[in-house]
Amino acid sequence: MKPLSVTSPAIGLRVMWTYIVTGLTIFLLMLLVGISMRGSQAGWWTIEPGTFYSLLSLHGIGMLTAMVVAGLGTLWYLVSRETGLDARVAYLAYAFFVAGVACVIVSVVPGHYGALWTMLYPLPFTGTYWPTWATGAWLVGAALVMLGFMIWCGQILGALLARYGGLGGVLAVDYVLHSRAFAKLDREPPPPQIFAAAITAIDGLIAGAAGLTVGVALIVRWLDPTVAIDPLWAKNLTYLFGHTFANLTMYMAVAGIYVGLPICTRRAYHTSVPLVLAWWGTLLFVIIAYFHHLYMDFVQAESVKLVGELASFLAAIPVVVITVYGAVLLVHRSGMRWTLGSMFLFTGLIGWVVGGVAAVLDSTIPFNVDLHNTLWVPAHFHTYLLEGVVLFTLGWVFVNLEQRAGASSGALIRWLAGLGVFGGGALFVLGFYIAGAAGVPRRYAVEPPPGPYLAGIATVGAILVLVGLLVVAYEALRLARLPRSEVAP
Amino acid sequence: MASGAIFGVFIVIAVIAIVVMVFLGNYRLRDTLPQASVTARGYVIRRYWLGLTLVIAIAAFITTLSYLPYSQPRIQARHYFVVARQYSFGLPKVVPLGIAIVFDVTSADVNHGFGIYTPSGKVFAQVQAMPDYVNHLQVVFTVAGHYSVRCMEYCGIAHAAMQGGFEVR
Repeated sequence: MKPLSVTSPAIGLRVMWTYIVTGLTIFLLMLLVGISMRGSQAGWWTIEPGTFYSLLSLHGIGMLTAMVVAGLGTLWYLVSRETGLDARVAYLAYAFFVAGVACVIVSVVPGHYGALWTMLYPLPFTGTYWPTWATGAWLVGAALVMLGFMIWCGQILGALLARYGGLGGVLAVDYVLHSRAFAKLDREPPPPQIFAAAITAIDGLIAGAAGLTVGVALIVRWLDPTVAIDPLWAKNLTYLFGHTFANLTMYMAVAGIYVGLPICTRRAYHTSVPLVLAWWGTLLFVIIAYFHHLYMDFVQAESVKLVGELASFLAAIPVVVITVYGAVLLVHRSGMRWTLGSMFLFTGLIGWVVGGVAAVLDSTIPFNVDLHNTLWVPAHFHTYLLEGVVLFTLGWVFVNLEQRAGASSGALIRWLAGLGVFGGGALFVLGFYIAGAAGVPRRYAVEPPPGPYLAGIATVGAILVLVGLLVVAYEALRLARLPRSEVAP
Repeated sequence: MASGAIFGVFIVIAVIAIVVMVFLGNYRLRDTLPQASVTARGYVIRRYWLGLTLVIAIAAFITTLSYLPYSQPRIQARHYFVVARQYSFGLPKVVPLGIAIVFDVTSADVNHGFGIYTPSGKVFAQVQAMPDYVNHLQVVFTVAGHYSVRCMEYCGIAHAAMQGGFEVR
């Protein structure tokens, strides 16, 4: 059989759109699930706790899988422009994602699984309200998603190692340490988006291995209830996987900035020594920052918690000093037009910074005493996911659609989309932030005051986001139907 | 720092970040400059920006070392054993005011969170309640009254209803 190695952009684009459309479709469905839960917390309607936690389990893993799938599609296409990739491997990983999602849906819909996606052992085995088979379906589904992710990581890392002559080449070690000799040889470091792909693949394989280890242990425990697992060991591996998996969605989506913003600004985003150093830092900090999830596990060594705090602080520096700052420089006095594509990419940077500030505050140990497991936690990750990752993804989608059609959207559409996505988004996350600061715990089907009142405001915000996204979806379809143009918008 | 103050710090930083980024993005956007002249100045400013963020990060890290909640239990502290289980807490009824208290917290089943709320409803302290492990939470109560306890880690269907409380006097 002839390999589907990418020699034309068409195959790469097909893979990318398959992944992105799948990811954004799951995202919209999970948004409806999220609205139903926030409305229930507001008291607008009633979802009994068992169903609430089943929906919360679905919403958590569904949203992250959606963001991961969309981000991996974009990166796969961008890597395929640099080196040949076999599309069959991308579709194999995709099949694992689909099979995993199917298992998760079976586990939740008929099975009523409700131990959430970062279940902490002895959950999901003790005091459950769902049948044992639903636990198995969930664990197998989550393992399939992890395997799909690791297949993607393995393919991309293998291709990059071959293309750039090993890990040193991929990470541009000679470019940084022997820059003069590197320049004399007329060598070029990898473009910025390759670092996003490489760090996703390397950290993804480490996190995936951790996730699979604890996942297999839980599957064994599911098959043999006499097996005992150390709860602290399981908690560490669960958060090593969960935190990294969630965090990497941002580093995947940022590739859209490296490639999309230069298209909008007609400027170049070059690899530089500071950019490479920033990615080296990210490679390390993303993996070890997860210790901040265990600040309240006092039995864990204090030194480990301090490593988590320092890594959480330092992880912000590559973001604000290199990537965001560099993107702002790219836009500054560039003559760029505000289209939906450029607007989403730029505002995604703002969402990333704001969500990052909230994350850094939460990762500060003395503050974490007040904020740990309150609604501040979903506040910060909804900020950087909804107003960061999703916007980068939409920005990348619209840059491609606008370029293809040689057209962009009118001011009314931009205003409607902006009001919904940013205005609604701000209301939505503020409900979480204020409730978190007031000490309302997260993951409560029924919240204590002032939770319900703020959940009402948040639900209004989420509905506005949905309306804005429907406008965006309509506009995307309109642009996609326009004939291909050779003229830039 | 009280959580209200943390929220205030967050809002101030977030608003500054939004205003600065929107301003820099829009400022004389149509009055174009060559990329080289923007980056020439920008990279100089970036050195100071890097220095500032590094100083803030390291200073914040060093400052927090004085405010860690993981102090070793004092020998003379009074210990209370707390057992969490789906969906209740085994708690003392009364806890003394003004002396060092250590809650020795564990769980009889799954992971729970032992979150103590002040009489005015603010988070006072918290620690995880884990099976097979005992976490020692040392506190000193300086205000008398009824302190409520809530579960701060998802533990199952009645997680939101898992509450308790004790008097401090």
